[in-house]
This record gives sequence, structure tokens and C-alpha cells, in this order.
Amino acid sequence: MILESAEPREVHHFAALLGYGACAVNPYLAQETIRDLIDTGMLDKDFYAAEDDYNSAILHGIVKIASKMGISTIQSYQGSKLFEAVGISEELIDRYFSGTVSRIGGIGLADISRRTEALHTAAFDPLGLKTRDGISSSGSHKLRSGKSEHLYTPETIHLLQEATRTGSYELFKKYTQCLTREDSEMTLRSLMELCFDENGGVPIDEVESVESICRRFKTGAMSYGSISQEAHECMAMAMNSIGGRSNSGEGGESPERLKSDKCSAIKQVASGRFGVTSEYLVSANEIQIKMAQGAKPGEGGHLPSEKVYPWIAKTRHSTAGVGLISPPPHHDIYSIEDLAQLIFDLKNANHKARISVKLVSEAGVGTVAAGVAKAGAQVILISGYDGGTGAAPKSSIYNAGLPWELGLAEAHQTLIQNGLRSRVVIETDGKLMTGRDVAVAAMLGAEEFGFATAPLVTMGCVMMRVCNLDTCPMGIATQNPELRKRFKGKPEYIVNFMHFIAQELREYMAKLGVRTVDELVGRTDLLRPKKSASAEGIDLSQILAGTDQTQKQHFNPEDVFDFELDKTPDRSVLLKKMSSALKKGEARSVSLNVSNTDRSFGTLFGAEITRLHGENALPEDTYTVNCQGSGGQSFGAFIPKGLTIKLSGDCNDYFGKGLSGGKLVLFPPKSSGFKAEENIIAGNVALYGATSGKAFINGIAGERFCVRNSGASAVCEGVGDHGCEYMTGGRVVILGRTGKNFAAGMSGGIAYVLDEERDLYMRLNKALVSLETVCEKADVLELKALITEHAEATSSEKAKRILDSFEEYVPKFKKIIPHDYAKIRSTVLALEEKGMDSNQAEIEAFFINKKEA
Amino acid sequence: MGKATGFMEYKRTESAAEEPLERIKHFGEFHSPLNEEQRRDQAARCMDCGVPFCQNGKMLCGMISGCPLNNLIPEWNDLLYHGQKEQALKRLLMTNSFPEFTSRVCPALCEKACTCGLNDSPVTVKENERAIVEFGFENGLISPEIPAVRSGKRIAVIGSGPAGLAAADTLNKRGHSVTVYERDDRPGGLLMYGIPNMKLEKSVILRRIELMKAEGVKFVTGANVGLNVSAKQILDSSDALILACGSADPRDIKAEGRDAKGIHFAVDFLKSTTKSLLDNGLEKGDFISAKDKDVVIIGGGDTGNDCVGTAIRHGCKSVTQLEMMPKLPDQRAESNPWPQWPRVCKTDYGQEEAIALFGHDPRLYCTTVKEFLKDDQGDLCGVKTVKLEFITDPETGRKLPREIQGSEETLPCQLCLIAAGFLGAQRYIAEAFGVELDSRNNVMTEKGGFSTNVEKVFTAGDMHIGQSLVVRAIREGRDAAAQVDGWLMGYTNLK
Repeated sequence: MILESAEPREVHHFAALLGYGACAVNPYLAQETIRDLIDTGMLDKDFYAAEDDYNSAILHGIVKIASKMGISTIQSYQGSKLFEAVGISEELIDRYFSGTVSRIGGIGLADISRRTEALHTAAFDPLGLKTRDGISSSGSHKLRSGKSEHLYTPETIHLLQEATRTGSYELFKKYTQCLTREDSEMTLRSLMELCFDENGGVPIDEVESVESICRRFKTGAMSYGSISQEAHECMAMAMNSIGGRSNSGEGGESPERLKSDKCSAIKQVASGRFGVTSEYLVSANEIQIKMAQGAKPGEGGHLPSEKVYPWIAKTRHSTAGVGLISPPPHHDIYSIEDLAQLIFDLKNANHKARISVKLVSEAGVGTVAAGVAKAGAQVILISGYDGGTGAAPKSSIYNAGLPWELGLAEAHQTLIQNGLRSRVVIETDGKLMTGRDVAVAAMLGAEEFGFATAPLVTMGCVMMRVCNLDTCPMGIATQNPELRKRFKGKPEYIVNFMHFIAQELREYMAKLGVRTVDELVGRTDLLRPKKSASAEGIDLSQILAGTDQTQKQHFNPEDVFDFELDKTPDRSVLLKKMSSALKKGEARSVSLNVSNTDRSFGTLFGAEITRLHGENALPEDTYTVNCQGSGGQSFGAFIPKGLTIKLSGDCNDYFGKGLSGGKLVLFPPKSSGFKAEENIIAGNVALYGATSGKAFINGIAGERFCVRNSGASAVCEGVGDHGCEYMTGGRVVILGRTGKNFAAGMSGGIAYVLDEERDLYMRLNKALVSLETVCEKADVLELKALITEHAEATSSEKAKRILDSFEEYVPKFKKIIPHDYAKIRSTVLALEEKGMDSNQAEIEAFFINKKEA
Repeated sequence: MGKATGFMEYKRTESAAEEPLERIKHFGEFHSPLNEEQRRDQAARCMDCGVPFCQNGKMLCGMISGCPLNNLIPEWNDLLYHGQKEQALKRLLMTNSFPEFTSRVCPALCEKACTCGLNDSPVTVKENERAIVEFGFENGLISPEIPAVRSGKRIAVIGSGPAGLAAADTLNKRGHSVTVYERDDRPGGLLMYGIPNMKLEKSVILRRIELMKAEGVKFVTGANVGLNVSAKQILDSSDALILACGSADPRDIKAEGRDAKGIHFAVDFLKSTTKSLLDNGLEKGDFISAKDKDVVIIGGGDTGNDCVGTAIRHGCKSVTQLEMMPKLPDQRAESNPWPQWPRVCKTDYGQEEAIALFGHDPRLYCTTVKEFLKDDQGDLCGVKTVKLEFITDPETGRKLPREIQGSEETLPCQLCLIAAGFLGAQRYIAEAFGVELDSRNNVMTEKGGFSTNVEKVFTAGDMHIGQSLVVRAIREGRDAAAQVDGWLMGYTNLK
């Protein structure tokens, strides 16, 4: 079926048409418009080239959308109907989009007909008179007065800023009134009414205090890198001062902050694993695994190269001036069991922290939440579609993600149905702007509340929406030192905001007759749909559905998941035998058998080292653990410098995950009869997100070896597919064959591969890297040193052979180095040769390259 | 946006103004525009904000912030930067009927709310607008657009000020037959006779009127509806009628000696100069002249400033401008932050000229006239001024002025101009049509609309909202036209 229509023009239009059955689309008006742009001089291009570019952009957009759903061919996407409808009536869905989820009802054919007619009249005046010359701005992305409505308008922004700057609750009420006006119908929650107590409620001084409520408040995850240091620290200081929590986001955190009042209480572990070191995790009060992001679910992150200033790169353990991509999935989470493993890893990496999982509001999130609760998470965040990143692609901003009201209600209801509700704290975020928003969120099941855009506004943000360009004139979403000087935010402003929200919430609670937030959680009986909503065909019954009141309705600390950490060999053997030596920092070693049911081996013990001494303080090999047997998953995860684990045997997946300075050695038992260099000894995704340290593997490793490595050194004797994917730093030596797609997305670090068959080029992903021989003296020395260490640690026969005839082997090695990394490295070296110190050279090199670009 | 880094690379540059002592020798406009490249650099400074405060046009803490027309400022700034002036003009004309007027006389609420102005200087939006519209006129892009079809509906517009003109222009383009009635001998209302020529050259107004005539709008001048023309007759022969007569009832200073000869309302003074200038280039001296006189102007606002400039050009001996209120601060007070309208002291062109000519600012603050002194012939020879202080009324909390005892002073004065604002619509027109006035003496309409208690009769502009700005009048005219069009035809494409 081929569709010919004047309407489709944006990526989402085409994706929807394809998804509902079109095989091809002829968007003739879009193409005519391109011709018109050229004719009127707005576009200086050949028409066919322009048309081609447009088509190509649309196609790439569709492929991107399909890939976010996990689909790799257009054939599979076509007719897949992978959409959810928000605001379309059941009738219409059943007739034309059967099978599509549409949870709140909505418009019908008559409404669509009216809108189409109105558009037609505007274009073809019934009288034949001239119509406007040009299309009105819709105001949907950049606000235009009198057009599409926004929550953040000049009024609300100004009033919020003034209220929090001057500490005026009165002004704050004016601000919230703008949003809670009777006729304001921009959100699902605005279509609901609160059922105030007919007897007048309870006196407000009997309601839970502002201080107590504020402990449930959090600021959203905004990475250091996307926002400036000043803005990031301001939020951390503010939230820390009121017992709330700020979120580091996925950009890591500079070590100086970790022991100060600027330490982010929530540390995020996202797919990029930027800066996720042992110290980072140990400093956290809560560790959040970011499964997806509200505004752009299914996508990774992208920090454009202009924003990767040297100090940002340092915190993320990457290279200045090189754009940073977070892959969409976590490469160590391919199933709910993998997620349970990661939760376990992180709990071991900091047993004092509660583990949180960030999910996104969409149909089916309830089931995912149930799985996550069973996996041991203590906090589940349901993130809505508003707000979110300052730099998402437009098709994602408008057409991906759903309101938190839907996801929150579903998660809360599903957890109760499965008897899991009291195990977890449910958190929600997504344009929470008033006390009323928080009240509704609580009534739908939330116990903790995240605010992201609002605190930014109190610090000066005026919603310029140029966050991705590094030109934020308020010094918030920029790294440019000149612009950062303009930053005028103060922690008091954010504190005022939190206090005001809490106070407004108290006012609502008093009127509802509820004294504590715990009592308010899940009270959908205190909400009802507005008459105007029902009149428009909106059906909120699914959201407001009651739950089984015999089941627990909110978190209970007694029901929290028991990780049984006392049963781990870390506690039962390592700490038991070495804890007094550990306290004094005295060297010690221990031997034991391990089996593959011992997961995250060494992590808990490593965390104690970091906690007592720091991740980089003790000399290498201070604590040596000699193991025999099969290593379980996440063997040696996040271990710091000073801890060395040697394993004689083999190992499962995630070997050395997040390595933070420690040393891992893996080799087959002396008695084994096979050739180590020809056999697989370690599972997939080894050294995922490693930041520093060393790993020596006497054998072949599985797929995705060293993915997201940002600083560790590793030597092994062969790898599977996708080796060194998204690597940003460190050194990898492979003394054998690689699988296909080697070095995909690699933007930093260097890999040396022994290419005896001279066919590495066939399996190399050349997009970002170049393939060279090893000729620089420094490189040869580096390579030799690593192979030597490998030989000493593992007694590897292949390594010995190579070292014995090293001169002959050197020409057989290939050096894989990313272009951008090489460029900035050579600029830095040139500046250092002129006498500059390395820090200064890095900064200079960044600005030189930026100018050239 | 202009250029992403434009606001960091370019500083605000305004067009050059002729030196005060030179420009007072004539009554012409005195700004010379920037060249093409400079103009583009200025347009580059626009940041295309996600929330453009410049085009907001809503109340913020009691004062309007941003453009009341919701002009698509970021869009035409961007097009101007890219050299797409034709497209910029199209975008501009989507919301503004008369950019050539606003770009000359508007106090630029847009610039006061510009995000660039928060940490630096605002974008030169007003001058950008002027560059675009003048480019349009110079290149024949603004030419008569005769409607393809006539609706057969007849509309009368009473008053040819900016509100009346905007309504007439808009309704004509919808195919209606519009006739504009103006009591003065030339159309334009306060644009023509209220604002002096050096601020808004009258050829600019005539250019627009000729354009509208070519498009089919009829003008009847010298028609004072309610006095020498029958309101009933016009109403009966129209399908709809819009009252746009302005807020023309001036506030008087009823002090002792008010009957002295030589006291005039500012509007009358300004009108007489402009009329003579147009009739005979001031050759016949048939205007209220300030030559060789000590002039005292009561009122420190824009009109007062226009009087200062005009009096100086007449060759006055001295000029003093009395303002009741205390002097406003030079910078925004902390309680008056961006993007609110800044309550700061503005030194306008007339005051600049007075400073250049006489060596000091002509304004005296917290001062008003207590008594007019006349000589034996009954001519004005001086004014007795008194200082004021403001006391907060304990009941209402409002600040009320009170004369300070013993602060009287006498100033020599042979010409006194009263520029103290307007009190509301003039009664005779309201009575002629039978429309009700509200407590502020403006014509009453339904909330958010323009229809009066009389069927077929609508109102727009100062007559509706009280004395205000040209830009608001244009908005009023356009919105009223949309309501009238919808009411007449059952649908409208004007929204």
C-alpha cells in the first residue's frame, strides 16, 4: 500500500504511517515546499539534492525510531503498530487502529473532522479572499503567545523566580495559581479534582511538617557536563541542607566533592558508566540505575563535543573535545536477571546505599516494576515524558514517553496486585511544579518526588532551549567559562522552592483531612475526574482505579529485600580473615575456593578498602586473594587499587565490571591439558565500564570485551564480537584474533592487536578509528611492558613466545587509535614540548581544536 | 535564531542620531540607519529563546511585559540576519498592521523584556523592525492588496487613529466596505496631530493612508460624528460600526488663574504646530508659538517631552517640565527585576535637546502648579509652583500627594502647556451612540470582547482601554476587527 498525502512531513508522521501498514509514502507537499524554499531564495541548494537530503533525514529518523524499539529492519517495523495512543477514543481505535493501547479515551472522528475543516478554511478562504501569507508558528516547541500552551510561560517563570529569590510564599501562590486555574487543562492531573473533606479537614498544624516532607524531595538527574559545575553544586548543597537528595546524573562526580557538602546523594549508573568508580559508589546514599529517560526512552545520551571541556572529560574519564555517547542499553542488562545481577553488584559496592531503578512511564511498566522489585531494588522511579533532557531530538520530545500519571498508577496497582508494594518506595518525576502536583502524585501511589526543571528555573533558567549548543546565557547548561560567570543561582532559592512546595502540599493535605504523606499514598478515592474531562470523552477510570485495601499500600522498611550479604564469601571469608589488617592498611593474602554461585566476588571487600583508605591510596597487591574454581558473574567488580584477585580456573560474564584500580589475573589451572591461547576462559562483557586498574587474562574472552572502558589496562589472547565498543580510555592488548565489529564507537584509548593473518581490517569498525602499525618508540615500549606484565602474572605461553622474539612480532601488531583522540593527543604533546604543563596543555588543546572545528 | 554565539560576539549598536543642537534647527526625523552589515550583526544577537519574553504582551506585576502584538520577533530577527528581508517582512506583517509607526514611536516593550538585556544590552528589536518595513516600502513589497471579493457588508469606523486604522485595514482585507470618519482635517488621529513631526514624519502616515485608499478604504475628514454628522444616520447605513475615538478628554489643572491667556492643552499645542508645518511650513505663523517665551510644561511623560522638543524648535527662551512624582531611579530597582517593565528615569530626545541648549535637564520633580499668575491684560506671566510629598494613606495603603508648606516658588511663564494625561472618552460621542461608559469613563464592553450595549456598535483602542500606547491600539483594532468579521460572516480567518 502506497500512501500519497500532503500531510506527512515529520519523522514521526512517517513512522506512524509505516507502523500502521503503509509500504511507501509520497509526501508531495513536503517536496513542493522544498521547491518553494529554493524558489524564494530561503534555501540555496539544487532541488534534487535537497529532496534527497530530506528523504535521507526522514529515513534515518525512521530507522532510529525502529532501533529504539529494538527492531533492525524496516520490514519488521512496517505494520508493527508499536504505538500507544494518548487521547484517542476507544471507538476510533477499534475501527482504525485496532489493538493499539489507548488508556484514557479521547477524541473521535467528529473532533478530527472539525480540526481538518478549520485548517482547510484557514488555507482556502470560503469567500475566496486572500489568506495569511505564511503558516502561523505553532508555538509547540518555542513558545508563541496565543498558540500552543506551555506550562513554563513568561508569567510562571518570572513569578517562580521572584518568589524563590525573595522568599515570598505569597508570590509562590500566585505562581501556582497560574498553573492550577480552572481552565488550565494541559496535563492529566489538571483533569482531576481533589475531593476535599466536607467537614473542613484537619487543622494544618496537625499535618506532617515541612522538614519531614522535604526529605522525600529529590532533584532530577542532570549530569555534570550537561550543566555547569556551579549549577550542579548549587543543587547538591541545597538538597543536602534540607535532608533531600540531589542526583549526580550520568557524568560522574569530581573526587573533591565526594567528601563535602556538595556530594550528590544519589549516584546514577547509566549505560555510559561515566565516572562510575568505587569511590563514586561508596559516596552515595542512593545508587540509581538508569534504565531509560522519561523524555527520550530507548535512546542513549549524547554530550556534544563542544561541551566536553577538559574538566568534564576528566570527571568522565574521557577525552576533551570528543563527543560522548551513552549507548541506549546497558550492555550488562539483557534480561531482568541481568538487572538483578547489577542491583546485587551495586549493593555490594556500597551496602549502605539503597538501590533505585529509573523506569519510564509507558504501557507495561507495571510488569517491569514488579520484576525490578523482585530483583531487589528499593526505589522505583517512574519518570514522565515532560521535562527531561535539554537536548533530545524533536521527534522524541513530542512523540516518545508518556505522562507519569499513567505509569505511576499502573506501577502502584501492579505491585499491590503482586503483594510487592511494601518492598519498594515509588518515586515519580516529570514537570512537578506545584504542591497540587505532588498531592496528586501521592494519591496515585508515589512516596518520593523529583523536581528538575523547576530548581533550574529558580537558579535562573529561562527555558531558552539551547542547552545542546553550549551557549546558555544564564551559565547553567554550559561549560563556557565566560558564560558560567553569569550564574546567579543560590542554594537558598532551591531551598525556598522545596519549602514552598511542601507547605502547599500541607495545605492540600489539611483540606483533604489527611495528616501524613504515608496516609495519602494511593488514596485514589480522594480524586475524581472533572466534569469537563468526561464531557470531552476522557476516561480516567484506569488511573483512578482503587486497589485491594487489605494489601499494604506503601513502603515498609521491614519488608525490604534481603540480599543475604552475610552469606557472601566477601563477608564470611575475606573480611573475617583480613578485617583487622584492612583497618591498619597492612598487606595480607588469602586463598580460597570459589564457585560460580558466588556473584560479585571481591566487590564488598573492595568497597571496604575504598571506604577506609580510598580507591587509589594503597600500593598494588596490598591484599591478594588467590582463588581456585569457576568465577561467578561480576567477578572482581569495582575493586579498587590495592586489591589483587587471582583466579585459577575460568570465569562467567562481567568479569572485572567497573574495575576501579584493582588488579585481576585469570588463567587456567596448571594441570589443564589444553592450549590456553586457543580456549575461551572468560564470559561476555568483561571489564564493562572499567575506569582504572589492570586485568590479565590467559585465554580468550567473550563478546563486548572492554566495552565502555575508560582507563583500565587489559591483556588477553583473543576476544569475541564487538570488542572495545564505546571505549574512551585505557589500553587493551589482544594477543590473538578479534571478533567482528571491533572498536565500534571507540572514541578514546588505544588497542594493540596481534594481527598475524593480516585480516583485522575486515573485522574492524572503521567509523571512528584508524588502523596503524606500531612504530612510535613510546608505543613499542608500552606494548612490551604490558605483555611482560601479562607473562609475569599468568605465565602465558603465548606472551613468552612473543617476548622471546619481540622484534619479529612487533610488525605483526596493529595499533587501533580513534581519530579525535589522536588529534588532541598530538596537539597536547606539541604544547607540552613547548614547556606547558599537562593540565594547561589539555585546556589549550581543547580550545584550539574547538576553534578549528 | 540569529547566530548562536551572536550575543557573545556583537555588542548592541544603535543608529546614529543627529547632534541635539543641529537637529533642533528643523522638524524632520533625525536618525540615520545602520548599514546592511551592521544591521545583520545586530540581528545576529537574537537568541531565539525557547520562551521569548519579548513577544509576551501580558501583565507582569501590574505592567505589560513584551510586545502587545505578540510580534514574531525571533523569527524576523533570524530572517534579517540571514539576509532574507522579504521573508522577514512577511513574518512581521503577520502580526503588525503598521510596523512603520511602531518602529518609530513605540517605547519598545520588547526590548525591555529581551533576554539579552538580562546580562547585557537587549537586541535592537525596534530598529530591526524599522529596517524590515522600510526595506519593504523601498522595494515595492508593500503595495495595495485589493480584496478579490467584496462581502457586501458596510462598516463604519469612527476615528482614524491607530486603532481605527488597524480595524479598517483588517476589515477591508476581508472584503468589507469600510468608511473611516475623522473629525480633523487630516486622518491619523494622535499619530498625525499628537506626535510631532520629528518623531513621526507625517509623510509616513500619508503613505499608509494612500495605500489604504488604493485598497478601497474610504476616508471622510472633517466629519465630527455626534456634532456635525449624524450618528444615527451612519449607524443605520452600516452593518457594523466601530468607535475608535480615543481617550480624548484631557485632565485639567484647575488652579487659581486658570482662565489666563497662554495656557493650552499639550495636544492642542502640538497639533497647531504640526498643522501649520503641513499647511505652509510654519511660514504663516498660524500656530501657538513658544518663541522667546518662558515655557512651563505640566507633565513629565512622553507628551511633555514632545512639548519640550517642539518649544525648543520654536526658539523658546526657557523650558521647564514639571513632574508630580519623584524621580525614578536610573537603574532597575531590585524589586523591579527583568522582565518587568523597568521603572527607570528615561531621558528622551526633547530633554536631551534642553540639556544641550540650556545646560541642564528641564525637569523638576515632585512639583506642580498651585496658581497661574496673570498680568493686567489677563495674559499669563508666571506660575506659582509647590513641592509635593507622598503620604501613605493608612486606610487604603495608597500614596497620596500633599503640598509641602512654604515650598512655593514663582517661575516666569508666558506659555503653559498641560500634558497631564487623559480622563477618558469624550461624552458627546458616547451619548450620540448611546453606549455606556464604565467607572473609568471608557466605553464598556463584555469582558475580553469589543461589543457594546448597542447592537452593531463595537469599540477599540484608547476609547475602550483608556489612554495607552500606539502598539496596544493596533492590537485592539485588529482584535476588534476579528470579532466584527466573525459576527458578520459567521466565521473568521482573522484569528
